[in-house]
Amino acid sequence: MNLEELERQVTLLEDIQEIENLQKMYGYYFDTAMYQEVIDLFSENTESVEITDHGVFRGKEGVNRMYAGMVGMKRPGWMFFEVMQSQGVIEVAPDGKTATGRWYTPSFECRPFGGTKKQTWQFGVYNNEYVKENGRWYFKKLHWNLTYWTSFERGFLKVPKLSDTPFPHADAPATAYHPYPSGYHVPFPFRHPVTG
Amino acid sequence: MATLEELQKRIQKLDDIKQVEKLQRIYGYYRDYEEWEKVVDLFSDNAESVEECDYGVYKGKEGVRRYYIDLLKGGKDAKPRPGYMSIGMQIQGVVTVDPDGKNAKGRWYGFFVEARPTLNLHEGELRQLWAHGIYENEYVKEDGKWKIKKLHFFLNFRTPYEDGWLKTPVVGHNGPSPEVPPDAPPTTWRPYPFGYHFPVHFKHPITGK
Amino acid sequence: MNLEELEKQVQLAEDIQEIEHLQRIYGYYFDNNMWAEIVDLFSEEQTESVEIADHGVFYGKKGIRRIYWDMFSGGDTPRQSPAWMQFVVMQIGGVVDVSPDGTRAEGRWQTWLCEAKPYGAYPRAEWLHGYYENKYVKENGRWFFSKLHWNNTFCSPVEDGWLNLPLMGWMPLPDADEPPSAFHTYPYHRNNVLYHYQHPITGK
Repeated sequence: MNLEELERQVTLLEDIQEIENLQKMYGYYFDTAMYQEVIDLFSENTESVEITDHGVFRGKEGVNRMYAGMVGMKRPGWMFFEVMQSQGVIEVAPDGKTATGRWYTPSFECRPFGGTKKQTWQFGVYNNEYVKENGRWYFKKLHWNLTYWTSFERGFLKVPKLSDTPFPHADAPATAYHPYPSGYHVPFPFRHPVTG
Repeated sequence: MATLEELQKRIQKLDDIKQVEKLQRIYGYYRDYEEWEKVVDLFSDNAESVEECDYGVYKGKEGVRRYYIDLLKGGKDAKPRPGYMSIGMQIQGVVTVDPDGKNAKGRWYGFFVEARPTLNLHEGELRQLWAHGIYENEYVKEDGKWKIKKLHFFLNFRTPYEDGWLKTPVVGHNGPSPEVPPDAPPTTWRPYPFGYHFPVHFKHPITGK
Repeated sequence: MNLEELEKQVQLAEDIQEIEHLQRIYGYYFDNNMWAEIVDLFSEEQTESVEIADHGVFYGKKGIRRIYWDMFSGGDTPRQSPAWMQFVVMQIGGVVDVSPDGTRAEGRWQTWLCEAKPYGAYPRAEWLHGYYENKYVKENGRWFFSKLHWNNTFCSPVEDGWLNLPLMGWMPLPDADEPPSAFHTYPYHRNNVLYHYQHPITGK
């Protein structure tokens, strides 16, 4: 193997590592209410952000509308989100400019629901796209599919989702909102490692 | 096109990241099986400290030994208690290696499923618990091997299985041990629902802040 | 370092990355009931065995088909799982070691599961935990599974928890080649699943 080929391989490994870090940092920023930092992880040419049934928010402008309302807001101490980013499978396109990523997010949260504080278990699946611009990886498209959002006390079998949560200011309705127990399987962005 | 030397540096950095991730995961696995001596051996002889939850800061390799063997194990000849379990899953590791390739930092989530006493570390009936928290650790490379230099675990909650964090955020924590006291008091005991966000060590990958 | 040594280092990094992906993809396929795809992740010639919980040890690629195709999928008459039946087997924290010649590897993983499956007459939701100690083999430049061993720590209904009810709803299969090798759930869970690696510092 020559130096050029080796460099290509090293670059691919670096790309995967950088994208894994990007996704995990997103998780940490989100959980610690650092929303401006979250917004800054998205490309200026972002395609869209779609989270559960909030709806589709298009472009970098959509990203701003999605998160900006929360920038600088002080969260009360009892409210928290721990959305753990796990099991990332990253596939970089042969041209090294775009990539896909699948992740699981087992989560616990505590947030307002109705008039009360509610402790909840949550589970979701990411199918994301990333883009490399000026030598750096950014989010191009974030799509978080809800599997369940349930009260701690009841569990997902009894109460798979507490309620629907569409956002009125979305650009389009959610494209794939099929929580448990629909049996919906979120399609894979990656190819079979053996059969392709 | 990169030179051989540049490529070497780049692959070394990738390798360092993977080695540190591996070290932290192995820490988790030894911890799951309560193999405390093996855990102590993952720390550098020049370890700075270990601090978890509200136990306080234990300094140096000697402090690390006192924390894991005297405090957590209950003494060097102590036997594991039947029915005791504390499985801690190490999730979402973000490892950053310094340009000198000799020091690194890592942030991890720890998600725990436990069956343990809550009166203190060793006494009382067993209760099943969920626990969650954040590691912000430092690592050092010595003789080509990565070791833990400083372990800092910030507890988010430790709640009975039946109750949940909202109802009962913390059980089983009553401050530093009087029998195996720390070298310094706890620095970050602000569990849920304090609202404290344990700061991230890494710089923003885009803005650099 | 010369070009050859650099190439070896790059190859090792790629191997580890590929194996991590292989294991994580296995998890994703499992959760989506894609049993044929899973069977294709195992080596044809070099698969040693598969052992899941207390089903017993099944040898070879034949064993893979028995477990994933016959047992999970329903064999010639694939069963359609009801939509409420769910397996989520989260693949967490792999420790992967590749042999010096780069043809074999071993990996230890942790799994956290939320499941909903029938027990008796009723659907039950359960929390499960388990460890993997797996083996992988490289054939024609690609990594495959050669041995899968998933050991169950507990499988508890959500209502009860592991302390009250560590195990429910498992079954040894009558046609296993060997009985389960290390099946001891909580509270006998300690030191069941031996590490494939030596201590990274002391080497013991």
